Amino acid sequence: MSERSGVIHDLGYRRYDGPRDGTATIARTLYVTGLRHTYGLGRSGKSKILPFILLAMATLPAAIVVGVVVLTGLGSLPVTYADYTNQVQLVISLFAAAQAPVLFSRDLRHRSIVLYLARPLSSSVFAVTRWLSLTTSLLFFMWVPTFLLFAGALLAGLDKSDQLEGLLKAVVLQLLLAALVAGVTGLISSVSLRRGFAVVGSVVALIVVSGVVTSVQAITNAQDADGIGVAAGLLSPWSIFSGLADAWHAGVVTFTPPGSAWALAYVLVAVVLTALCVLGLVARFRKVGSR
Amino acid sequence: MAGVTGELTGLLPTNQSVITTAGLTKHYGSVHALTDLTVDVGPGVTGLVGANGAGKSTLIKILLGLLEPTSGSASVLGHDIEHASQEIRRLVGYMPEHDCLPPDVSASDFVVHMARMSGLGAAPARERAADVLRHVGLDEERYRPMGGYSTGMKQRAKLAQALVHDPHLVFLDEPTNGLDPAARTDMLRLVQRIGSDFGIAVLVTSHLLGELEQVSNHVIVLDGGRLLRSSATTDFLRRTGNLLVEVVGTETERDRLGEALAQRGLTCRPRGSMVAVDPPPPELAEAGAVHDVIRDVTAELGLGLMRLEPDHGHLEDVFLEGGAHV
Repeated sequence: MSERSGVIHDLGYRRYDGPRDGTATIARTLYVTGLRHTYGLGRSGKSKILPFILLAMATLPAAIVVGVVVLTGLGSLPVTYADYTNQVQLVISLFAAAQAPVLFSRDLRHRSIVLYLARPLSSSVFAVTRWLSLTTSLLFFMWVPTFLLFAGALLAGLDKSDQLEGLLKAVVLQLLLAALVAGVTGLISSVSLRRGFAVVGSVVALIVVSGVVTSVQAITNAQDADGIGVAAGLLSPWSIFSGLADAWHAGVVTFTPPGSAWALAYVLVAVVLTALCVLGLVARFRKVGSR
Repeated sequence: MAGVTGELTGLLPTNQSVITTAGLTKHYGSVHALTDLTVDVGPGVTGLVGANGAGKSTLIKILLGLLEPTSGSASVLGHDIEHASQEIRRLVGYMPEHDCLPPDVSASDFVVHMARMSGLGAAPARERAADVLRHVGLDEERYRPMGGYSTGMKQRAKLAQALVHDPHLVFLDEPTNGLDPAARTDMLRLVQRIGSDFGIAVLVTSHLLGELEQVSNHVIVLDGGRLLRSSATTDFLRRTGNLLVEVVGTETERDRLGEALAQRGLTCRPRGSMVAVDPPPPELAEAGAVHDVIRDVTAELGLGLMRLEPDHGHLEDVFLEGGAHV
């Protein structure tokens, strides 16, 4: 502007004519940010404490098992990969219940959702991306101990193909479980915007219902009415997981293992329920965003 | 200004409409938020005024694609809202009326994140966020969590996120809401700069009619979801043909002047401490004739003439006139 030298200029407003990402890249950025936020990364120091304590709690038993197997030279792991996940279900449920509100309540409660929806990502892409972040976060949470066990098993010189088969079954079942749990806790968190209510709601849906279903299955098994117990298994993500693991011989024993037809029903219910949750999330985000 | 417009011509020819709507209608059951709205918004600053509930926010949300209109059509920056809503959201910025900032994040982090959500890469997002936060006047406090911000600081942070991706158009919904008079003036000056210096078209809403007079080139007035009037701000502020006269003294002196002027055939009425003189009858229509009469009358009465000026219109008058101009 001015020809004089030696003057500090206020550059004024500068326009941006550099490259702009497409929708897919923006969604990926949102996905990675969301995934990091579930572990408190990129957030305050305080918010890192809970997820990492829970992760340590879910991993510590696996580390002990590995130590025992390697040191004593056991011929097999005392627990299968799928069963390990089943055994630490309380910790996994707590992690999901505590961290789902980070992704699904905050934007709605503080209404920053409006700022997101005024940008290129649509409400459906936004909701699905959030759900993918939580699903991945849960998978990571389950995979850390699972792969630790696997590494220990290889280190102890156990049969590789046996271990690989067990691992593969566990990974597939964990995928189904993570998607479903992320959908259920996400939907609950998006509806009850107060974090406390969201956590309690998720705890009820995951832990309490699972406990009730297990009791029902034990009772019906004792009363020789397995059919009711198998059907009741459809009501909780955890009983779907353990039922399928039992039916697939992945090393989990339930009171009322589903037959092959029921196992198919379990898979179908898990998939349909997940889809319904994601649709519910899309509807919820769209509604709040337009207010 | 010429330089800025020159740079912009590639994106936005100055004579091209930024927003056009045709018969835009939004009904929620029996509530008519917007009825048959047809307007044309050009570059620069456009004020959208109306009482609370007049349909201002509804219009912005429809233009952003957040709400679907019941009927009618609209286009923003040449893109149809029904088919190219995503393209529109790439090019516009939006500052909502209500609070929308997460309290546990700093303005700096938040604005960077919002830049990335608009498609800027990590490095440009940081650079632009720093730039824009400086322009809106958030200094050291940008590194503090936004939960502790005053209303003025929150409004600035909201404005920063609307500008960070260098939009071609920004929707500012009640940017002066909740601000004290000094902060209000600052914000209005900033709005004006966005339209002129930054070269970004602005659609700014307010329920206070007067405050947009100073900053906008064009004003659209909504009332109960209907268009009351849309014209250049200068049209609203045109001279009414009335004269305002003020003399030294109290109401007694004012009334003496008024009565004396009435005897000379002028129609007068008191307005505050002044006398408002209606446009003169034909025999006094000659330029300066009325001024002479007023001067002579005050001199005869021995009054001190303090002020004699033409009267201007105000945005508020549109409501007093009702829908006469539609």
